[in-house]
Order: sequence, then structure tokens, then C-alpha cells
Amino acid sequence: MRFFSLKRFGMLAMLVIAVGLLILISTHARANTPLTDDRSYVPISPNWALAEVESSSPQLVVTPPPPTEDPCLSCHILGQNKGLWTPLARWTLFGSLGLLFVFGIVRSASTWVTRSPWKPLTNRAADWVDDRYKISEPLTKILKKPVPKYALHWWYCLGGITAFLFVVQGITGILLAFYYKPTPEAAYASIQYIETQVYFGSAIRAIHHWCANGMIVMCVAHMLRVFIMGAYKRPRELNWLSGVLLLVLTLVFGFTGYLLPWDQRAFWATTVGSEIAGAIPAIGNLALVFLRVGWNVTGETLSRFYGLHVIVVPLATVAFMGAHFLMIRRQGIAKPL
Amino acid sequence: MSDIEHNTEDTIPFFPDHVKTEFYVVLGVLAVVLIIAIAGLIKPIGIGEPADPLNTPLHVKPEWYFLALYQILKKIPAMVLGVQGKVIGVVIPIVLVGLIFVWPFLDSKPDKSRRIYWIRLAFAIFAVIAIIALTIWGEVS
Repeated sequence: MRFFSLKRFGMLAMLVIAVGLLILISTHARANTPLTDDRSYVPISPNWALAEVESSSPQLVVTPPPPTEDPCLSCHILGQNKGLWTPLARWTLFGSLGLLFVFGIVRSASTWVTRSPWKPLTNRAADWVDDRYKISEPLTKILKKPVPKYALHWWYCLGGITAFLFVVQGITGILLAFYYKPTPEAAYASIQYIETQVYFGSAIRAIHHWCANGMIVMCVAHMLRVFIMGAYKRPRELNWLSGVLLLVLTLVFGFTGYLLPWDQRAFWATTVGSEIAGAIPAIGNLALVFLRVGWNVTGETLSRFYGLHVIVVPLATVAFMGAHFLMIRRQGIAKPL
Repeated sequence: MSDIEHNTEDTIPFFPDHVKTEFYVVLGVLAVVLIIAIAGLIKPIGIGEPADPLNTPLHVKPEWYFLALYQILKKIPAMVLGVQGKVIGVVIPIVLVGLIFVWPFLDSKPDKSRRIYWIRLAFAIFAVIAIIALTIWGEVS
């Protein structure tokens, strides 16, 4: 066993993850600072809370429960009894465990009576599905597909890291989208809200920010690896084409995402960027008007960039990624010289 | 055509062996992601001044991955042979991406020796150094 073996690396990574989770959870109290104590939080628009809804239609507003009936999901960890939820969770947990215990007793008794061989529940479920849909044989063929040993060198993992970072971006992006508001009045304030009030909001935003940069670095590194090794040659031309399109889509992600905080840097970078797009011969003005939705960067631009960033570009990326992976799967990993 | 056929001693099964190595890599990336998360909790990324369409800042810079292209655009003179410098600065990256796009069709012959491999490696290193130099130049200027 070499000193820096893959197994030791994995163990180290798991240790770092465990310690990291502990630190993350133990510092989460920072994220729950009350609104009045935090001077950095400056809401621009006053009417983005519940107040507006409350005044317009009082019958639709749900009044929060009193503290004793608050469905505090973490309270049972802290040992606080809060109304209905803590006993309900306890009963559900112990009740299901008890049912499982009873089920085990009954099954053991029946196998002892009939002398039929014991089969775990998971195997029974798998047999039940396989009996009807016959998936075990094709699934085995897919899973046991031979992978050449040269594909274990570290430089073959760059594309996989890019794909994994895309998944990370998707998850953190969805979490951010829950709190982000794509209007010029509320965008800035909602970013401040994420950074100061939302649980782990600043952590999620930091992950989204840095993994975006990391994804571009990994994308370019993967492309350089493929270029240097000549893996783009016949029969893998279409793989290269889809890869270049994925790099362009990643850059579009970066360009559209940069506007969303709606601060000075974002606004003027987008102004200059779309102005440069306007200098393209023949279709320049068209591109500029498409990007800005008009002749200036306004709230419409923000809406358009948000739509591109969270719907259009992700869908296109997933489609091209699927094609990319299927082609690799079909043709195998290119043999190095 | 393709090289799907291998000897069994040169290969490992996709599951569980190859998936296991990928899993270790994912664990490593996840560890880095968690460290980023902790750093983000301790020191948030923050946000600049709110956008003000009436107040143009002195220096407008794009993100670092567009800096190299932006630097090329800035350093092209205003008029080159009767064509606006801005137009050339936009056409250069489009042509570059187009060239990268059709590259497998221009260079389609299979490799015969290791020499072409070293040439490509040298070219890639040159390109990376050029891009990094342009980016640093754009960052400090």
C-alpha cells in the first residue's frame, strides 16, 4: 500500500467531511442573528415582507401558532417539548421500529414453521420487481461494463469533477432560488437577507460562488487533457463538439449569474458585456436588445438573465451532458498513445 | 472503429470498482466544498454597493474568466484598416471558439508517433500561459 493511496485519500476526505459538518453545525447560530442586531442588513424596499399581504386580504393570512404549539423540528434534539410535534415524531419513530420488530418475529416464525430458506426483505423486494420487469440482466450488463485500467489515472477524473460540481451548483442554486427575488427593488435586499438571516445562507452562497469558479477551471482542465491526449479524434468528434458547447454554456452561466446580486459591479459588468455583444457584425443590435430586453439594462434584463440562469441554460446543459456521457459510454474511454 | 474490446486483465468492472474510485474523488471534492461552506459562514462573500444606473464606477471589470478576452478588446486600437477595433475584438473570440469547435474535423488523422503529442502539449502550455498572462495583465491594469 502506497502512502498516498486512494483508500487513505477517501478516509481523509471522510474525516474532513465529518469535522467540517461538526464545525458547520456548531457555527450555525451565527446565521440566526436577530434582524435588529445586524447593522449590515439594510432592506431597500420596505414592502417585501408579509405586511402587504396582511393589509390586502386578512382572511388569507395564517397567524403563527403560539410558542407552545410551534412545530419546531429541531426541538426534540435540544430536549424542548413543544406541543404536538415532538411526541408525534417520537411515536412515529418508535412505532415504526416496533412494527419492524413484530414483522421480524412473524417472518422468523413462519420460516421456522415452513423450513423455507431465509431471504432478507431487500432481496424479496428485488425479486418481486425483477419477476415483473426483468431488469436484473440488463442492469448487470450495464453495471459490469469493463473500464480500462488506464482510466484510473488522476487526469481522467477532471470531467467527472466538473459534472459533480454541476450537481453541487444545481442543489445550492435551488436553495438560493427559494430566497432570491429577481426584481431590481428586492434583488439586493434578498441577497443581504440570504447572507445574514437564512440558515447557512452565507455558506450556501459561498459554495455556489466558488464552485462556479471551480467548475470553469475544471472544465478548461478537462478540455486541455482531452486536447493534449488527442482524445477528440475520430470517432469522438461529436463528443468534443458537445464538450465545447458545455464550456460555452458554463460561461453563459457565469455571465448571467453575475448580474443577479444587482450591485454596482454586476450592473456595470453586464452593461459593458452586453455592449460588447452589440459590436458583433450584422446581428449586434439584435444580440444587445435580446440580452437587455430594450436598449438599457433594467429590471427586464434582470428577469431575463434570471430565467436564462435558472431554466434555459440548466436544461440545455443537462441535455448536452446526457449526450456527452452516453457517447463516452458507447465508445469507451479513448486509449492513450 | 471504437476500442470497446479489452483484455479482461486490463480492465476493472464499472461497478463496484470504478464507481468506488469515483466515489473517493467525490468525497474529496465534498470535503473542499464543506471547507468553502465554513469559510463562507465565518466570512461571507458579501455584496457591493447597490446598482445605480446614474453612477458609473471608474473601473468596470468582468469576471476573471472573461478578463483575457476583455484585455484583448481593450488593447486593440480604435481603428484598424478601416474597421472599428471593437468589432475586431468581438470577432476574435468568436473565430477562436469556432476554430476550437471544428478542430476535430481539421485534425482528424490518428496519431502516429509521440512527437505530435509533445507538440500538442507544448501548444497547450503556451496557450495557458498566454491566457494567464493576459488575465494578470487585465487584473493589475
